[in-house]
Amino acid sequence: MQRDIPIRATFYCVALATAAVATAVVLAARGPLPAIAPVLILGALFALAENQVVDLPSGAGASASFMLGMTAIVVFSDQGALLGPLLVGMCGGFYWPHIRAREWRKPLFNSANFGLSTLVSAIVFNALAPAGAHTPGQLLLLAVPATCAFAVVNLALLTVSLKLWTDEWPATWRSFGGALLQMYPFALMGVFLGALYLDYGAVVVPLLVVPILVARQTFASYLAIKESQEAAVRTLIGALEAKDPYTAGHAERVAGYAEYIGTELGMSPSRLERLRFAALMHDVGKLVVPNHLLNKKGKLTAEEFAQVRMHEDVSVEILTRIDFLAPVAPSATSEAAEFAPVADDRGQPIEPHIVAVADAFDAMTSTRSYRRALPQETAFDELRKNSGKQFHPRVVDALIIAIEQRHELHGRGHEDIVHHVDAPEAGTGSAGLGDLLREIENGSEQAAGR
Amino acid sequence: MTMSRRLLLVVVLGGIAAAVTGFVDPGGSSTALAVLGAAIVAGELLVLRPAERAPLPLSYAVILVLVRAASPAEFLVTVVAAEAVAYLLRVDDSAWDRIWVTAIRLGAAIAALGAFHAVANAMHGADSRWIVLTALLAAGVAEIVVDDLLHVVRARRLYLSMHGRSADLALVTGGMLMSVGYRGIGGLEGMGLWGPLLFSIPLLAAWYSFERLASIRRTYEQTISALSVVPELAGLVRQGHASRVAELSVDLGRELRLAPPDLEYLRAAALLHHLGHLCLDDPEVRGRPIEPSEVTDKGAEILRETDYLRPAGDLLASDTASVGNQILRVVSAFDELTAGDPAFNDAAIEALYSGPGYVYDPRVLDALERVAGSRLPAAAH
Repeated sequence: MQRDIPIRATFYCVALATAAVATAVVLAARGPLPAIAPVLILGALFALAENQVVDLPSGAGASASFMLGMTAIVVFSDQGALLGPLLVGMCGGFYWPHIRAREWRKPLFNSANFGLSTLVSAIVFNALAPAGAHTPGQLLLLAVPATCAFAVVNLALLTVSLKLWTDEWPATWRSFGGALLQMYPFALMGVFLGALYLDYGAVVVPLLVVPILVARQTFASYLAIKESQEAAVRTLIGALEAKDPYTAGHAERVAGYAEYIGTELGMSPSRLERLRFAALMHDVGKLVVPNHLLNKKGKLTAEEFAQVRMHEDVSVEILTRIDFLAPVAPSATSEAAEFAPVADDRGQPIEPHIVAVADAFDAMTSTRSYRRALPQETAFDELRKNSGKQFHPRVVDALIIAIEQRHELHGRGHEDIVHHVDAPEAGTGSAGLGDLLREIENGSEQAAGR
Repeated sequence: MTMSRRLLLVVVLGGIAAAVTGFVDPGGSSTALAVLGAAIVAGELLVLRPAERAPLPLSYAVILVLVRAASPAEFLVTVVAAEAVAYLLRVDDSAWDRIWVTAIRLGAAIAALGAFHAVANAMHGADSRWIVLTALLAAGVAEIVVDDLLHVVRARRLYLSMHGRSADLALVTGGMLMSVGYRGIGGLEGMGLWGPLLFSIPLLAAWYSFERLASIRRTYEQTISALSVVPELAGLVRQGHASRVAELSVDLGRELRLAPPDLEYLRAAALLHHLGHLCLDDPEVRGRPIEPSEVTDKGAEILRETDYLRPAGDLLASDTASVGNQILRVVSAFDELTAGDPAFNDAAIEALYSGPGYVYDPRVLDALERVAGSRLPAAAH
């Protein structure tokens, strides 16, 4: 792995670290020297904050350490000791996973990057700040150029580094404005904490750091339980697949298509999350269907068919027990998901329609014990034909657009796993086909009637 | 009324109150009091809910700002007015709950007021910065202690958990910071209420994290228990079997001093111990009856497929002899015998002790007798 890193990237890291150390030496020689205690306290906390990063969905990981850099700028501003912010920022390179993995370039680079960014930010702050104690209004204003200076230097050094590392210009600047807005509240907390530090001493620092650490710790527990929630759902899917090997991957694929459709329809992340779980669990009721019916190759008798259909009621019963999924529990029945063209569907959740379309699409494009997979275009035609009748037209359009935009191909010849290559070309039987089953049955009845 | 609507209402009413007081009493302290009062009401709506302790409202942090910003008389008037509004907003709760919660909040606020001034007076002459910090710490601790004590009185049960105290820690430190931020910098009045507002961000982040944690925990527990019901819906076991076995297994696990994570796995394994049954072919189809060990092994196989529930699967597998596995065997057999009717408990325990052909761990049976038997009423639940 280490051999793959270009030599110029290594050179860049070493040069940057040398520059940071040289600057520190020059600043120390010129004086004034910063007080030791705040350097140690803020530096240790800066390193701690870097190591406490929890991956937030918004990517706001490094903000807590940046905040402490801002504190350092204010704390050392009245002495004019620029060495203080530089040293505090340089502590940010001590990221334990990097050090343990002996990736010595990354700590070098991060240390230099945080140190120089904080230093430039401090120079800008000191140049603009009037002498003496700062009023809150001044701090409010001064935090703006200080944040910009930090962000510009930090991102510029990072962009060059990524370019040297991967030989491609990264798109880091695209989200620059959003990142600045996200940083500003932390910058404000940092500079006000600095002012309180000057008044009250170091004792105020834990007052800010403790609630932040508690919040992060709690968020980490949240992520851990989220993992166990995923595990519970995987357990369910594992049980389903143990019963009916032909449906391996079905739940995941339906969830994937449902997510495509939801994204296409502009759903919020939390609603997408709920849709994904509902789609993963839509077949849970099949657990109560005896195995020999699920895997029957021939046509089901009317009695067997009723028994298989019962699984939808069980699915709804189970999904209703989970508050988070209760509003979209009808996703599990084909009746509730039936699109009624005359009815006014405003206020009705669209999720059942999404799961119905995703389910039907996957059922058509994968091989089952009773039928080989259909080609993608046939499945699209089938969806289009029933759009506005059986399926919600907006949902059908969204799925077709989403799949075509991604240039994906599903169905015959493009399946990940084919469990049953000698399946008949067409025919009825088994469960899991949802509405299409009825469609095919009607067709065969018509044929018999003729 | 949804939570966000209530919050909006509080913000609007607080804004109107601040505008009116600013107009009536320009330059006086009543505008700040109106804003802090509204912040207390908002803090009553934003509650930290750790799983292991009674909920903690963010209003306790605002109390620490108010205790420093206002005279004792102003403090009391503001707190009583704010709690009266909060009482009206708790429309979903029963009258008795509303009265109790209001009483607890007022008790905690008065404790904070008393502690703050007692410490401030006792430290008279010391460095003013240290007086403020120490008195605020005392007020924060007093609030929490009185809140805890009143919850003990309300539940009529002397039980205080030391778990979930990170919420207390965050609330007291965050509240102290908000309070120090009020008129804090260099003795300048100008910072006003912007300090507390700005420094409420860490507490709001903590609140958000606790909310997410509580909701995912609820979803997880409901998912597992919904899955546990499937064998019952399929008619394979009696209704309520899984939840009864889970509850009694955890009680026995606690009695036998299993560690909290092991209790969690025991609970999950107990709830899902019949899941494997669903995946086996019908006896008529395969031509031979289903053995209990087949059911547990199939369940274990499924649970072991995920990283997170693998320990629960290990516990369920028939080839293990862990305490948890022994507990599950005993409790499952016990529930088959009693069908959840406590009248049969003693007979069932007797049968398990002397049951022919079955070997159950005597330690677990003793624990079962202590927890579910009637001969030792002290251990009965």
